[in-house]
Amino acid sequence: MKRNGVKMIKINSKNVDVFYGKKQALFNINLDIEENQVTALIGPSGCGKSTFLRCLNRMNDVIDICKVQGQIIINNFDINDKSCDVVRLREKIGMVFQKPNPFPKTIYENVSYGPTIHGMAQSKSEMDEIVETSLKKAALWEEIKDRLHEPGTGLSGGQQQRLCIARAISVKPEVILMDEPCSALDPIATAQIEELIDELKKDHTIIIVTHSMAQAARVSQNTGFFHLGELIEHGSTDKIFKNPENKRTQDYITGRFG
Amino acid sequence: MNKNKEKLLNSRYRTEKRFQFYGKSAIFLALLFLTIFIFKIFSTGYTAFQKTWLIVPVTFDAETMYLDENPSKEDLEDADYFDLALQTMFDLDKSASEKQQNDLKKMVSYFFEREIKRELLNDPSLIGKTKDVYLTASDDLDQVFKGNYPRDLPEDQRRVTDYQLKIFDQLVEQGRVESKFNLSFFTYPDSREAELAGIASSFMGSIFSILVCLVIAFPVAVLAAIYLEEFAPKNRFTDFIEVNINNLAAVPSIVFGLLGLGILLAVFQLPRSTPLVGGITLSLMTLPTIIIACRASLKAVPPSIREAALAMGASRMQTTMHHTVPLSMPGTLSGTIIGLAQALGETAPLILIGMVAFVNTIPGSPLDPAASLPVQIYIWAESAERGFVEKVSACIMVLLGFLILMNLFAQIIRHKFEKKWS
Repeated sequence: MKRNGVKMIKINSKNVDVFYGKKQALFNINLDIEENQVTALIGPSGCGKSTFLRCLNRMNDVIDICKVQGQIIINNFDINDKSCDVVRLREKIGMVFQKPNPFPKTIYENVSYGPTIHGMAQSKSEMDEIVETSLKKAALWEEIKDRLHEPGTGLSGGQQQRLCIARAISVKPEVILMDEPCSALDPIATAQIEELIDELKKDHTIIIVTHSMAQAARVSQNTGFFHLGELIEHGSTDKIFKNPENKRTQDYITGRFG
Repeated sequence: MNKNKEKLLNSRYRTEKRFQFYGKSAIFLALLFLTIFIFKIFSTGYTAFQKTWLIVPVTFDAETMYLDENPSKEDLEDADYFDLALQTMFDLDKSASEKQQNDLKKMVSYFFEREIKRELLNDPSLIGKTKDVYLTASDDLDQVFKGNYPRDLPEDQRRVTDYQLKIFDQLVEQGRVESKFNLSFFTYPDSREAELAGIASSFMGSIFSILVCLVIAFPVAVLAAIYLEEFAPKNRFTDFIEVNINNLAAVPSIVFGLLGLGILLAVFQLPRSTPLVGGITLSLMTLPTIIIACRASLKAVPPSIREAALAMGASRMQTTMHHTVPLSMPGTLSGTIIGLAQALGETAPLILIGMVAFVNTIPGSPLDPAASLPVQIYIWAESAERGFVEKVSACIMVLLGFLILMNLFAQIIRHKFEKKWS
């Protein structure tokens, strides 16, 4: 999004290195993410795009041997700083995973979980409203409004993923990270999610990791290409796909490797 | 080439058939042993659920009881029933010699005067009247009546005399011997007299021990497991702890008994022979079992659920308490029940902490001396009297029934509460 012709930067990463034990997984990543845009991260398997995504909400903390160095600045604040509270951070930065992972609870409980633990609703009716808005935004409301109290795990794969998206947006995050959200879904469900992503970028900054270059081209405004732990090239999706500067980018998007 | 292939294929099929045959034989053998075992226990034990009674006419003569006219309730309580009881038995054969009178007395249970007393207390108007009273037969006659006692042995090798058998047969002919459901087996505590021995004290002892064990072992084990699995850093030290917990699960139970003896009784001076000490000792034994079960079921919760919760901004504690632990509970609970079932069948540690003592009272709390079911089996199996043989099997049946119920319960919990996740 441009304001007075200036690109608004939501996330600013500087010299990010990631190590798994002794093995370095990311080398000196410098990537700016534009606000209220969809940024796609592409690259062959094992190139570090998911690792980078997980740096942004510090999900790598969960992995004991993982070490992150460098600065990731969101809202003028370095999230790798000791004073950063992970719980607050993850409230601001939601995440949708590769495999749909609803809690084995009811649909309602899935969506209301975030608002509950962050104390966002004062009453039952307020909570109902949050749940309804989130499900509507995730384009799931019409399908499941009559069975809110049935288990979320009973839904189809595509519905489950949209439920996970509803769960993520229920706490009104500023950024949504999506880690190959469609890789476990069929083309129809994929199309629904892609449509949804386009809708969501009005209110949220979205970063999506994808294996499908077609998907990257369809949904994103900006694209970053990772290879062997390095950010090879990044820029507007148009430019990356039509006129890449780097030879490796060109080889990858034309299908010569990967 | 083709022929070779066919040969190979046939030999592959044969291997599979052979393997299936071995597997089926193994199952058959296991079932056979189990059937023999159950049949043996059942066939020796089922008679213990019946008890033989002699129906003897008792004349409640006030004079024999040294009672005044119009006795009060207290007078009846304090009256002397011994002579009356003796007289009742002597009346069965008025021409009996002194030695035979002694035999007559031994035909009924040791405390048969109490049964006469209870009859009169129930109905004080019986004074001066004669009534047929049910008296517990002695354990030897009980066995004779059930057909467990060889009558054709020479008299000097039998505990029942020819004279007793003669009188007993007369009573049988008159329809004065009856077999009824042996309620006292469940309501009486242990006794030196086989016909009066019951499992009430050991059953209650087992229940109290298991409760103490549960109350101590469950929270400690679950907390330890949750901490180790969800919070503790993975390093050499936690590895070391894990290895030791696994070792602890394999330590022979008698070692825990020694620990209970050396620490609980010697150092902390806790009361000997009580379910409290027994339960604590058993809880030491059950701890590793529950820890291992709980950790395994925590491990089985898919990491995606944890990630989902963490990514929603839940703290580690919230992730654990809201998601991981509830999902692991079915596995933990069924592991706990199986651990308790193990503890229920444990004998050795309880013997060491003194729960093998002869207890003829029913414990009302974990602080009263008690036996436990497996120890009761051990005590009775050691006893010489024939009447205890069937009791051993009957007690095993009760213990097995208890264990089957617990395992069934574990299965139900597992099936009913296990959630499926995609």
